[in-house]
Amino acid sequence: MNNLSGAGENDTPGNSAHAQPMIALAGAELHLASAGGNVNILRGINLTVERGETVGVVGPSGSGKSTMMMVIAGLERPTGGRVTIAGEDLSKFNEDDLARFRRTRVGIVFQAFHLIPNMNALENVAVPLEFAGADDAFERARASLETVGLGHRLDHYPSQLSGGEQQRVALARAFAPGPDLLLADEPTGNLDGETGTTIIETLFDLSDQHGTTLLLITHDPAIAARCDRTVHLRDGLIVKAEAAS
Amino acid sequence: MTHTDISWPLAARLARRELRGGAQGFRIFVACLALGVAAIAAVGSTRAMLEDSISSDAREILGGDLLVDIVHRPASPEERAAMDSAGIVAASAEMRAMARAENEQAARTLVELKTVEGTYPLYGTLETNPPLPRDTLLAQRDGIWGVAAAPELLSKLGVDIGDKLRIGETRFEIRAAITHEPDRIGGSGIFSLGPRAMISAAALPDTALVQPGSLIHYNYRLRLPENLLSAGVIETLNETFPDAGWRIRTLDESSPRLTRLISRVTMFLSFVGLTALLVGGVGVANAVRAWLDGKISTIATLKCIGAPRALVFRIYLLQVLSLATIGILAGLVLGAALPMVASDLLAQVVPIRISSGLFLEPLIVAAVFGLLTALTFSVWAIARAGDIPAGSLFRSLVSPTKGWPRAPYITLTVLLGGALAALAIATASDAYFAIWFVIGSLAAMTTFRLAAAGITKGAARLKDIRRPALRLAVAGLHRPGAPTASVVLSLGLGLSMLVTVATIEGNLSRQIAEELPADAPAFFFVDIQPDQIDPFRDLVAGVPGFDHSEQVPMLRGRITAIDGVAASEAEVAPDARWVLRGDRGITWAREAPSHNEIVSGEWWAADYTGDMLVSLDHRIAGGLGLEIGDTITVNILGREFTATVANTRQINWQRLAINFVMVFSPGVLESAPRMHIAVVHAEPSAEDPLERAVTDLFANVTSIRVRGALETVSALIGNVGLAVRLTALITLVAGTLVLAGAIAAGHRRRIYDSVVLKVLGATRRDIVTAYILEYGLLGLVTAAIAALVGSITAWAVVTYLLRLSWSFEPMAVIVTTLIATLITVGAGLIGTWRAMGQKAAPWLRNE
Repeated sequence: MNNLSGAGENDTPGNSAHAQPMIALAGAELHLASAGGNVNILRGINLTVERGETVGVVGPSGSGKSTMMMVIAGLERPTGGRVTIAGEDLSKFNEDDLARFRRTRVGIVFQAFHLIPNMNALENVAVPLEFAGADDAFERARASLETVGLGHRLDHYPSQLSGGEQQRVALARAFAPGPDLLLADEPTGNLDGETGTTIIETLFDLSDQHGTTLLLITHDPAIAARCDRTVHLRDGLIVKAEAAS
Repeated sequence: MTHTDISWPLAARLARRELRGGAQGFRIFVACLALGVAAIAAVGSTRAMLEDSISSDAREILGGDLLVDIVHRPASPEERAAMDSAGIVAASAEMRAMARAENEQAARTLVELKTVEGTYPLYGTLETNPPLPRDTLLAQRDGIWGVAAAPELLSKLGVDIGDKLRIGETRFEIRAAITHEPDRIGGSGIFSLGPRAMISAAALPDTALVQPGSLIHYNYRLRLPENLLSAGVIETLNETFPDAGWRIRTLDESSPRLTRLISRVTMFLSFVGLTALLVGGVGVANAVRAWLDGKISTIATLKCIGAPRALVFRIYLLQVLSLATIGILAGLVLGAALPMVASDLLAQVVPIRISSGLFLEPLIVAAVFGLLTALTFSVWAIARAGDIPAGSLFRSLVSPTKGWPRAPYITLTVLLGGALAALAIATASDAYFAIWFVIGSLAAMTTFRLAAAGITKGAARLKDIRRPALRLAVAGLHRPGAPTASVVLSLGLGLSMLVTVATIEGNLSRQIAEELPADAPAFFFVDIQPDQIDPFRDLVAGVPGFDHSEQVPMLRGRITAIDGVAASEAEVAPDARWVLRGDRGITWAREAPSHNEIVSGEWWAADYTGDMLVSLDHRIAGGLGLEIGDTITVNILGREFTATVANTRQINWQRLAINFVMVFSPGVLESAPRMHIAVVHAEPSAEDPLERAVTDLFANVTSIRVRGALETVSALIGNVGLAVRLTALITLVAGTLVLAGAIAAGHRRRIYDSVVLKVLGATRRDIVTAYILEYGLLGLVTAAIAALVGSITAWAVVTYLLRLSWSFEPMAVIVTTLIATLITVGAGLIGTWRAMGQKAAPWLRNE
């Protein structure tokens, strides 16, 4: 194992011994078989993120940022190592258990928004709450949309919304169930600069308000710098971790 | 973690939201289901309509509430008295006889003669032209009896109202033409060898047609008082006269032969309809797969935000079900309307009054067929959609809906397929045929699937093709996403159904129209009295063109017990049941029939006089479970005779020789009243003189022209064949729909291909040639396999079900190949033409 990979674990600011960390990756590996031989996407990642912490993930394309996030979200099973989220060992869960776990504990925001095209904004936000059997799914969804400033766009379909509005709906959807952990994969990647800034502001505001742990993949050093800590990935390894100055 | 998160209401809510986006790509899905369901619903509704018409008119068709049928003898005075005490009786005698015109040509023809008395008809009305009261119609006037004749009889003999004709020994005056005889099919059935002639019962003795042993049905129709149940009357009659040997029919069996024919024909038509539905199933599967491929992102998103697999499955299952409902409803509307529209046409073929209406049961059956097909063919793809990994949002995947779903869904698919098969068997009037249909369809589908895989692999191996157009065409057969598999399967199934139907029909008509007449006799003569046999033999031998003749005595008897077990309770193979249905002709003989081969046991000595022995048709003996030494009991003219099985014979029923299932040993039966039948082989030019000579001399003898009878049968087969071929065309239409769907699915690929090829310098002609070759190859290969599968199926049906000799029908294959190639090339070119019109630049920019 590369020595540098341990940097994140050893250099974690605000490490509290009494509470379980929100994210604990221990030697997480992911190898995929392909026609050209084995591809090592993650090569033994050690990372601990405490509750309420915000962490920026940076690195060149193909460094394994998104894959690491998928492993944390339980969307991809690691081929080696251990993944513990909010004290739960994800390897014990089957696919449906993971879906149910994500539903209330993990919010995800994508670069491409991934709203459901045939549902309006309100319905898109209400869906995870409906999955969870919440009777007040639509009230909470409405409140969540009002928080992101879209109270007047409830009936609009994704195709009737601008990119920034779509991403705000995605944010409302991610935060509505009150998750412990929010994963954001380049949430401003498809937006212009000004809109991107608004989204990032909203993202950090909501995280603060809810005390949500935030893991944010970004190419923008300025955005990464707003996080409590930044980890740098290259070739499936954490090569550097730095706390906010 | 509870099961509430995969609840059906939640799934329904999400499915409804998803459906807002419209059902693009589902046109073929809906059309395929609608077509198959319409075919099954139309066939079922037609059957229900005919059966309902028969049962609602049952009293008219049967001619009474009860029909007591006695063969050979009239009811005794005691029997008649018992019937009279139960209700109003209309007695009639029905037989075949010859009618001769008293004109210059002295034309003659076989007639179905029926005598009636004053009470006739008990139900309905006899309509004649001119309309005449009964007394005037049939009574003796100026010493001459009246006859009412079917219009065909008048045209056949070239006579008119007022002319005279001879039936038996008596002259009759034609008083009117029969325009409607209410109980026409209830008596002699729908297969009549000649037109109807109706005379007064009082005129029968004068005809001298009633001879010992002549085949006459004495029918007594009873009109019962309303408070009297027919079951009670039957019980009383049977208890009082246990040895009467009559057959009593009730309203439930007013026209058993027609009902049987309807159920047979509609069963085969349903099978063809079901094949159309199966072909459509391929279209259903394609449409669902293509649609779900476009939903990958949505499904992955749902899973990312917490939807379990089962919920995803339910959401998409419900959407497929709602679209299937649209297709099924459209099919039901079409299927229910068709028979109503076609009822006038049907009335010309089926001799009953048809009352059209809406019949729920066949529609429900068709709907269930449609639903099961939709589910069977879509569950696989939907289950795979549930397995789409949520992580696919982060990377693009190729064809995620391929491969095997999880075990429970495989089980579900198998169960649904099983239910479809079970329903096909349960709703068929003959489970035996239905089981073979199910096995055949499974085998055909497997064959086509394997063949498609073979074509794809074979095409992939073809290397070093120099001609670019051919190389492109071959590549089109095996590239990823090529429609080869679904086209071969769907179009192949449709085409093989067409080949099967055409080959079976070709075989049937060839046997009847060409092969049978080659060694068929010219005539059957029936009702020859024992004292007429010698003069008959001399007479026919003297006619120029006569070849040879054969005469045998004949009685009629009914099998009542099989090795001591009552016939009604015996276990009998389906293909032997007909032997137990009513009276059978029987004979006795000293020598074994020359054209039969003894298969087991031994023939009795020519001078045998011991206990009664019987020789049985080998296959029937097997079907009845009889072996050498077992016994069979036969009721002949009210007396029971039990005989021991001495041997079995192989009978070639295709030869129109005199063949009997049962041939008894001589001795016991010789003293029974009997008549003789004869077959006469003669040149066609000798037919008219022969008929004249025989019927002039023996007024009681009836002649049956084999050529005419064969023409009647040919016409019937032609009618049924047309109905089956039309239904089979639906299968082909379904196959074409699937093809169109598959080609449409590849539309973007084709545009892109043609744009790139144009950029590289290909002319439009080059591109079109490549596509013609691609679709031509696909059509030709599909047709070749369909010809093979269809011919094998036809061979199995002809050889094992129809038990006829089989011959390959090249025309069926050639026509099929042409149709297949035309359809594939045509559909392919229509698609290509649209692709060719696209300008290159925008596509290159977009891509």
